[in-house]
Amino acid sequence: MKFVRNSAVFRFALLVAILVVLPLLGLGPNAVRLLFVTFVWVTVSIAWNILGGFGGQVSFGFAVFYGLGAYAAALAVNSGLHTVVALLLAAGVAMLASFVIGLPTFRLRGPYFAIATIGVSEAVRVVMTNVPMTGGASGYRILETGPFRQLDHFYISLALAVLAMAASVEVRRSKFGLALLAIREDEDAASDLGVNPFRAKLLAHALAAALTGAAGGVYAQYAAFIHPQGVFAFSIGVAILLMPIIGGVGTIWGPVIGGVVYGLIHDELVASFPQLHLLIYGSLLILIVLFEPAGLVGLFGRWFRTLASARRIRAANP
Amino acid sequence: MPPILSLDRVSKNFAGLKALKEVSFELEQGGIYGLIGPNGAGKTTLLAIISGSLEPTSGAVIFEGRNLAGAKSFAAVRAGVVRTHQVPKPFRALSVLENVEVGRRFGCRERSAGDPEDAAQILDWVGIAHLAHAPSATLSVGDQKRLELARALAARPALLLCDEICSGLTEAETACILNLLRKIDKDGTTILYVEHNLRAIMSVSQHVIVMNYGQKLAEGTPQMVQNDPAVIEVYIGGTGITGGRQPRPGFIARG
Repeated sequence: MKFVRNSAVFRFALLVAILVVLPLLGLGPNAVRLLFVTFVWVTVSIAWNILGGFGGQVSFGFAVFYGLGAYAAALAVNSGLHTVVALLLAAGVAMLASFVIGLPTFRLRGPYFAIATIGVSEAVRVVMTNVPMTGGASGYRILETGPFRQLDHFYISLALAVLAMAASVEVRRSKFGLALLAIREDEDAASDLGVNPFRAKLLAHALAAALTGAAGGVYAQYAAFIHPQGVFAFSIGVAILLMPIIGGVGTIWGPVIGGVVYGLIHDELVASFPQLHLLIYGSLLILIVLFEPAGLVGLFGRWFRTLASARRIRAANP
Repeated sequence: MPPILSLDRVSKNFAGLKALKEVSFELEQGGIYGLIGPNGAGKTTLLAIISGSLEPTSGAVIFEGRNLAGAKSFAAVRAGVVRTHQVPKPFRALSVLENVEVGRRFGCRERSAGDPEDAAQILDWVGIAHLAHAPSATLSVGDQKRLELARALAARPALLLCDEICSGLTEAETACILNLLRKIDKDGTTILYVEHNLRAIMSVSQHVIVMNYGQKLAEGTPQMVQNDPAVIEVYIGGTGITGGRQPRPGFIARG
């Protein structure tokens, strides 16, 4: 068992190492940008999965954390703070927001919680559209003092994605993770065995919000210009929930795969089908929920098992 | 020795319906207490109040000197009151072992010398060790009931509340569960046992509390309760079914 886990860690380390050297092998700026965006999406996808996949709390409102993180980081950078400090602030602000949102909404269950998060998300977007300090609807610009160094952004986003992955694995293995799974399966039964569901949900929400906020901050520093219709858009909230569901909700690798798929094809889809891309996502979502609720991870697992058993049969009957 | 649990005039209203009307009784440390009554008597409501799933409209639930009325169920568990469910509620995506692990890791009472070391041992004890790694959703009803019991025991209760743990089970399975309850009792855990199956409850309890229409009707040893005219009236309908004849004493134990 220990060997298996260690070899999993080894393979993960190898993957990260490849990603670290990849841009040094002559990858063009557009490819690096695509990878950067993918890491940002992978991070928020993993974050959503901690609350939604492990804890079973389906939130449409993660754009709030993404957007607040983006604005917090932008304001911090413009007041001369270091990038890392700005990201910590972004995570902190998002975490605070998660408590403000979670304290009332976690008293609701299932679809009612999901609906409440939609309302909160839209409300925050409207408020941010009318806040004069950050330029309201016209958006907010980061005034860059030094030259633009794409690789710095690339490595920061990669580091954040690795951090999110580590957090996800650690949560899944911990007592806290067991509480989340129990709550997802049956909140009352969990409480009847000593789990405090409200507290566990708040903590998972806070952790997910912090990671999402930091991801928003990473994006804002790269884009250097953000506006409420962009980072607080409802479609961002939907995308954040779509990725782990496409990949395999409640699993470790599902949200990563979902984030990669979304990150790599999103721009292409928007460019090719500017009106239709949401329809494509919607159809994909319906297909997955109907035919493969375990997402791509479940699909791959099934193919793999079929192949393995076919090979066994062939080996047994030469 | 003070009672382990004492209910003081516990009432519960659901909108206009008075489900419980000033129910009071005490449970001494140790022993199996049966709680019986016809459908709608308020047994499950009472159990839900003691376990913290419901808040009483008025009255006190004193457990080991602390009033638990209005405490959330996880707080009651940590104080030492753990319940099982009539309809088993396994964490379906989790394995049987992980289900028990939830009770073991979140029921926080101090471990005592005789307590089982780990979840696998508890499964072995209730007789489903061979299912440890099966997804709990695949269990039969009988095994799900055992899992309910194993999970609750893993939380180390001082007072175990069993809600119709034998309903839907075969004779053999029922006998097996009753034996487990006797063993749990012998290990010093107090049990409050709600059951429809009168024969089961009379055979296992030392003390029986009878409820009807949200009130306590009678309590005493199984023998005393079976011979209580008021109880016979409720269960047989004194003058109705028996045509005015007095039912023979001890009607329940003989089934």
